[in-house]
Amino acid sequence: MKKSEYLYLDHAATTPMREIAIKAFIDAEHEGFANSSGSHNLSRKAKNILEESRETIAGIFGVAPNEIIFTSGGTEADNWSIKTLFNKNTHLDSNLVTTNIEHEAVLASAQWIKDNEYDVVFAKCLINGELDKNSFLNAVNKNTLIASAMWANNETGIIQPIKEISNEVKKINSKTLFHSDVVQAVVSDRIDFHKEGIQSAAISAHKIGGPKGIGAMFLSSEFKLPSMLHGGKQELERRAGTVNVAGAASFASALQEQQNNFDDEILIMTKEKKEFEQIVKDNFKVKIIGEDENRLPHISNIQFEKVNSEILMVDLDLNGLGVSRGSACASGAQKPSHVLEAMGINKEYINNHLRFSFGWSTSLGDGKKAAKILLNSLRKIS
Amino acid sequence: MKILVAMSGGVDSSVVAGLLKSQGHEVIGVTMKLWEGENGEMPETGCCTASDSEDARKVAAKLDIPYYVMDYTESFSEDVVDNFVGMYAKGLTPNPCVECNRSVKFDHFLTQAKKLKCEKVATGHYAKIINNKNIYELHKADYLEKDQSYVLHMLTSEKLEYIDFPLGTISKPEVRQIASELGLKTAFKKDSQDICFVGKKDYRNFVNTRIDISSSGEIVDKNGNKMGDHKGVHEFTVGQRKGLPGGQGEAKYVTKIDVSSKRVHIGEKKDLLTTNFLLEDISFVNKIETTNLTIQTRYNSEDLPCSVRTVRDGELEINLHEPTFGVAPGQFGVIYQGTKVIGGGRISSKVLEKTE
Repeated sequence: MKKSEYLYLDHAATTPMREIAIKAFIDAEHEGFANSSGSHNLSRKAKNILEESRETIAGIFGVAPNEIIFTSGGTEADNWSIKTLFNKNTHLDSNLVTTNIEHEAVLASAQWIKDNEYDVVFAKCLINGELDKNSFLNAVNKNTLIASAMWANNETGIIQPIKEISNEVKKINSKTLFHSDVVQAVVSDRIDFHKEGIQSAAISAHKIGGPKGIGAMFLSSEFKLPSMLHGGKQELERRAGTVNVAGAASFASALQEQQNNFDDEILIMTKEKKEFEQIVKDNFKVKIIGEDENRLPHISNIQFEKVNSEILMVDLDLNGLGVSRGSACASGAQKPSHVLEAMGINKEYINNHLRFSFGWSTSLGDGKKAAKILLNSLRKIS
Repeated sequence: MKILVAMSGGVDSSVVAGLLKSQGHEVIGVTMKLWEGENGEMPETGCCTASDSEDARKVAAKLDIPYYVMDYTESFSEDVVDNFVGMYAKGLTPNPCVECNRSVKFDHFLTQAKKLKCEKVATGHYAKIINNKNIYELHKADYLEKDQSYVLHMLTSEKLEYIDFPLGTISKPEVRQIASELGLKTAFKKDSQDICFVGKKDYRNFVNTRIDISSSGEIVDKNGNKMGDHKGVHEFTVGQRKGLPGGQGEAKYVTKIDVSSKRVHIGEKKDLLTTNFLLEDISFVNKIETTNLTIQTRYNSEDLPCSVRTVRDGELEINLHEPTFGVAPGQFGVIYQGTKVIGGGRISSKVLEKTE
């Protein structure tokens, strides 16, 4: 199958790079290859590209440039926020509150804290896919160092009541750092961190048409975090390692392009997803997860009656439609989703789900095309 | 032809995928994830390790074929591992590879291949399928040293029609040669010999953690005199020599395991000689044959001339022309006519008791 004939609906995993972001990357490597921390002429060029990129990104999120720190991606930012406040100087009663529907980067970091014998609470999730506010807030107390909840779930697209809980967390403990993984949300939602009560956030470039290997940590200037990577004094002594200037430039360019086209892109994603879900619903017994909830426009998680989605996904791939069952796994085999489990989805149906995710490169007609391929496979497999 | 290839990450199945692709077939590679750790991680030793599936993925990428890891852990755990543990608990010697072929590879996997509209499944087993006027026969591989027809004996003609064993006519050195010519990184990978889900560890430890009955009891000689104690019948198999009390004199072997009295009987090598035994749970590739038969009582063991007699449905009495050592209940007896597999079944503990 030629690449051009292949329909890609796995944008929640990653997206193709925008042309303008590829160009920005190449231009930055040409003009700003030098080490941005150096003190000669070429380093200054690199430094300038880096800082302009930071300003662009900060401007888009409505934050100060020094509140944006470049990282290798979302996972690093999540690890940094979750882990580094727990160290040998940390009071043993300190706790961490998060949810059981977080991305693995947060879940596994939190588990690591728990394994180090700190109190970690994984707040429950309601059957509608929203985190249980009571379960979350009941766990927050005067010892809570970090409270962390994602803006929107990467498997279901369901948007979480962040503002409500971030305000309540502040009331209980004004010193708690409120962290949010916004990696998926940035694809199709706009977030004002300060207004929403978010003090740290993980952002990734490759979900919005930027390059892989670069992301950012938003860290409110009111907070300081110990470094996670030790070495040189880059990024205002907060993150060691030669900065990926071309990555930053490309990230900024992708984000700017996304902002310029935001309404049009969202319109297409919304329309294509709606059409796709409608055709599938009309022709096969399915349940669309969070159908009546506030969802990100680009994610559709569908449960198929009596169809194991492992083989369905294989058949879709063989017929030119690339989707996933949730988040990717190194070994290739995919475990039942912890998010669907947390939502209390019956064991009988937990392996019957697929995630279809639209993105900036989605074109008009993709929803209909995808539905056609899907229905063909369903007829074959079921 | 659209063919689903089971790729373990080893050199054999890598070459199968490569050969079929070079013959112009539409090849789809699948690694069956059979076994996992407590938290769903891939095991570190044995097969099904993360590095094995990574090898298979690299080979598939090199060959430019679609490749997937599919989850068969539930079926494998129930049909193969539980059975393996249960057999030891009953004083029998299991053969997990036969169970795996029977219930996982050539059952669930075959069903999935049909769903994906594949015309055949192919594996890297060393065995030959011969189409004799649309009757499909299973034969030993030309390269006898690696022949695996023993562990495939349960395949019937109806199933063989959908199966391809491209290595049936190739030798292992040739396989490595082909792998190297195709530039596959698995070319010189070591063969794995371990029980895949146990790995390099002692199978007894594996079984110990999975059974809760304590079956400790006595070790007795053939006159019923107590020779010592043991920590569980599952730690013994018939024919075993290691770990027995004895001291001077002739070497001692386990001759019988009596689960109901928890007694392990030991004796001399000659006490292990068997001429007649019973196969249960039998199957035939096509129909039963009665002339010029031989039997293997362990994987790749000697072909022993024999006669067979149907006792009742599902049971077959085997009469060896010469007595032999090492017929272990729980292992399979596989009947051949020349290179052709006629069928086989599990060696029953019933007859061994009778022949004492």
